[in-house]
Amino acid sequence: MARVALDLPLRANLSALENIALIPLYQRHYDAAESTRQAQAMLDQLDHAGIALLRDPDMTPAQRFVTKLARALILKRPRLVIDRPGAMLYDVPYPAFIGKLAARADMTGTWEIYDFNWNQVLYNQALDSE
Amino acid sequence: MNKLHFKVGLFAAASLLLAGAFVVYLLHARGFFEETFHLQLAASSADGVAPGVPVVFSGIEIGRVTTLGLNEEGGIIIHATFFKRNAKWLKENSTFTLDKPIVGGAKIRVDSPDLDAPALPDDATVLLLTSDISKELPALVERVKAVLDNVEHLTRKDGEITATLANLQTVTGRMTGEYGMLEGILGSPEKARAVTDSLDGIRALVGRLDSLALKVDGMAVKTDQWLFAPAGVAEQTHEALAQIRLMLNDAQSSLEKADAMMTNAVAISADVKEGTQDIATLRAEVDDAVSKANALVNKINKMWPFASEPEVKLP
Amino acid sequence: MNFLAASIESLGAKVVGWFTVGYAMFAFLAKASLLLLDRTTWNRATFDVVVKQVYFTAVQILPVFLGYALVISWLIITIILSTARDFGLTAFASEMTIRVLVLELLPFLTALFVALRSGSAINTEVALMQVNNELDALAHCKVPPMQFEFLPRLIGGVVSVVILAGLAGLLALLLGYLSIYGVSTAGFEPYTQTIAKIFDFKIMAGLIVKCALFGLAVTLIPVTAGLETPKKLFMVPVSVLRGMMRVFFAIVTIEVVSLALKYI
Repeated sequence: MARVALDLPLRANLSALENIALIPLYQRHYDAAESTRQAQAMLDQLDHAGIALLRDPDMTPAQRFVTKLARALILKRPRLVIDRPGAMLYDVPYPAFIGKLAARADMTGTWEIYDFNWNQVLYNQALDSE
Repeated sequence: MNKLHFKVGLFAAASLLLAGAFVVYLLHARGFFEETFHLQLAASSADGVAPGVPVVFSGIEIGRVTTLGLNEEGGIIIHATFFKRNAKWLKENSTFTLDKPIVGGAKIRVDSPDLDAPALPDDATVLLLTSDISKELPALVERVKAVLDNVEHLTRKDGEITATLANLQTVTGRMTGEYGMLEGILGSPEKARAVTDSLDGIRALVGRLDSLALKVDGMAVKTDQWLFAPAGVAEQTHEALAQIRLMLNDAQSSLEKADAMMTNAVAISADVKEGTQDIATLRAEVDDAVSKANALVNKINKMWPFASEPEVKLP
Repeated sequence: MNFLAASIESLGAKVVGWFTVGYAMFAFLAKASLLLLDRTTWNRATFDVVVKQVYFTAVQILPVFLGYALVISWLIITIILSTARDFGLTAFASEMTIRVLVLELLPFLTALFVALRSGSAINTEVALMQVNNELDALAHCKVPPMQFEFLPRLIGGVVSVVILAGLAGLLALLLGYLSIYGVSTAGFEPYTQTIAKIFDFKIMAGLIVKCALFGLAVTLIPVTAGLETPKKLFMVPVSVLRGMMRVFFAIVTIEVVSLALKYI
C-alpha cells in the first residue's frame, strides 16, 4: 500500500524530481541518471513536468500533491490510498483534479480515497459533471 | 558540467596532492630514501643518552643515537646512525663529546679539527668523551673563589701589602723632595712616577678583586637555581664564564704589574734597611698569586675554547 | 530525609539520561559502521551525497577557514618566537611551534569551526526532519534514511575535518618556516630535521585518528541529538542546544585524552 497523506511530507531541501527519484535510486539501485529519467517520466505522465525543479516550499498545494502522488505511484505498489485529500488540495476542486490525474496515470492497482463523509457530495458533483 | 562536483573534485585532488607531497617529504626527512652510516661509541657512562639523542657537527644535527647497551665487559656501547651524505664530516681524528647543557636535552658533539684527515669507516668504534658543564661549573667557581680569597688575603686592610705599602711610604717619606730618593735612584721623575702609579694600580686591583669576589659568590649561589630556571641559562653561563675570564685576565695583568713594581721596590729598597724583609715576603706571595691566576686562566681557556667553538644561531 | 531521597533520585535520573544518550549514540554508530560494510551502500547515490556534504562542510568554507588558520598561526608563531628569543631558547622555537599548532591547536580549532558551522546545521536539519515527519515519509517509501541522510554526513564530516586540519597544519608549517628563517632556503635542512624528529609514525597516526574522531563527534552527536527531538516544533532549539553542548564536551574530551596519551 502506498499512501498519499498530509503527514507524509516531501523532503524539504530536495526538488520534486529528486524526491521522486529517491525511490528507484535507493530501492531498486538504479543509477542516478536512470532514476532521474524515471522520475521525470512519471511527472510527464501526470502532466506536471514543469514542477520538476521546484522545492517543497515553492510549490502550490496542488503541485505538492502531484509530487506526493508521483512518489507514491513510482513505488509500484498494488494499492494506492489517498488520505483526506481535502487537507492537501485546498486550492482546487479536488475530486475532479484527482479524477483527471487518475485518468492520466497508467497504473494497474486500485486507487482508494479516504475522506470525511460530509465531503461525499463533492465527489458526486465531480462524477455528475463528467 | 556539474560545478559543485568540479569544485569538490578540485579540492580533493589538491588535498591528495598536498598530502602525498607531505608524506614523501616526511619520508625524505626521516631518511627513508637515504643510505645510512653507523658508528659505535664506547662510553664510560650513558647518563643522559637515550635513543633519539642527536649527534651534532658545528651545531647541525647529522645523526642520532639509535640504541644503547652494555657489552660483554660491562662497557657501554652506543649505536648512532648517520645519513651517508653526512658521513664525510666524521674523520679519523674527530672527537665525540657528550654535551649535557643545563637546559635542554643531551647531545653528542662531533669536532673534526682536520677535515682532510681520512674518513671513519662504517661501523667503526670511537670513544665518547664527557663534558658536563653542570658538574664542572661549581668546581670552577670554587677554584676562582680560592684564588680570589688568596689575593684578598694578600691585600686585606691590615695585611702584608698594606703594611708594606705603609712601610714603603715611611721609607719614601724619609727621602727628600717630591720623588725623593726614588728619583735619585731611578734617575728621573718619570721613572719614579711609574713606581707610585704601580702602587695606585695595586689599590685599584684590590677594589676590583673585591667586587669580582662578590660576583663570584653570587654566582655560586645561583648555580643551583640555574639548573631549574626557565631562562636562557646556557647563554648566561656562557656570558658569566666569559666575564670570569676577562676579570681573571685583568687580575693577571694587574698582578703582573704588581710583580714588576715589587721587583722595582726590592731594587729600590735594597739600600734601605727598614721594610726590606716585608717586601721580600710580599714579593713571594704575589708571585704565588700570579702563577695561580695564570694557571687558572689557562685552564679556563682550555676547557671552554670560546673562540674556536662555532655555533649556529637562529636569526 | 525527603530532600536526600529527592536528590539521589534526580542524580539517578541524570545518570540514566547520560546512559540513554550514550547508548543511542553508540548504537547509531554501530548501525552506521555495519552499513559501511554493506556492499549496497557503496553506490553512486551515496557517493553523490557524500560529495555534497564535503562541499558544504569543507569546500564552501575553505577561503574563510584558511584565512582564519593563517591569522591564528601567525599570531601563535610570533608569540612563541618572541618569547623563545627573550628566554634564549630559539633552538626550541620551531619544535614548539609545530607541536602547539599542527598537533594540537589547529585540529582543535578546526573541529570547533566545523561544529559551529556544520554541526549546528546538521542538528537543526535532523531535528526539523524529525518534527516534520519527513523521516516517517522516507520510512514509508522504504528509503533508508541512514544511507541517504546520515551516513554521508558522518563520512563528509570525518573527511572534511581531516582534510581541513591537514591543510591548516601544512599552512602553519609553511608560515613557521617563513617566520623563523624568512624567504630563503637556508633553514630547510634544520627545519626538515625538526619535522622528522616530531612526525614519527605514531604521531602521524595519532593525529589522523584524532582528526577523524573530531569529525565523527561533530556530525554523529548532532545527528543523534536531532533524532531524539520530540515531535514539537518548539523543541528544535532545545535539541540544538543540547547537541552542541555534547559536541563541545566530546571535542574537549578527545583533545584531553589525546594529550594524556601523548605526554603522560
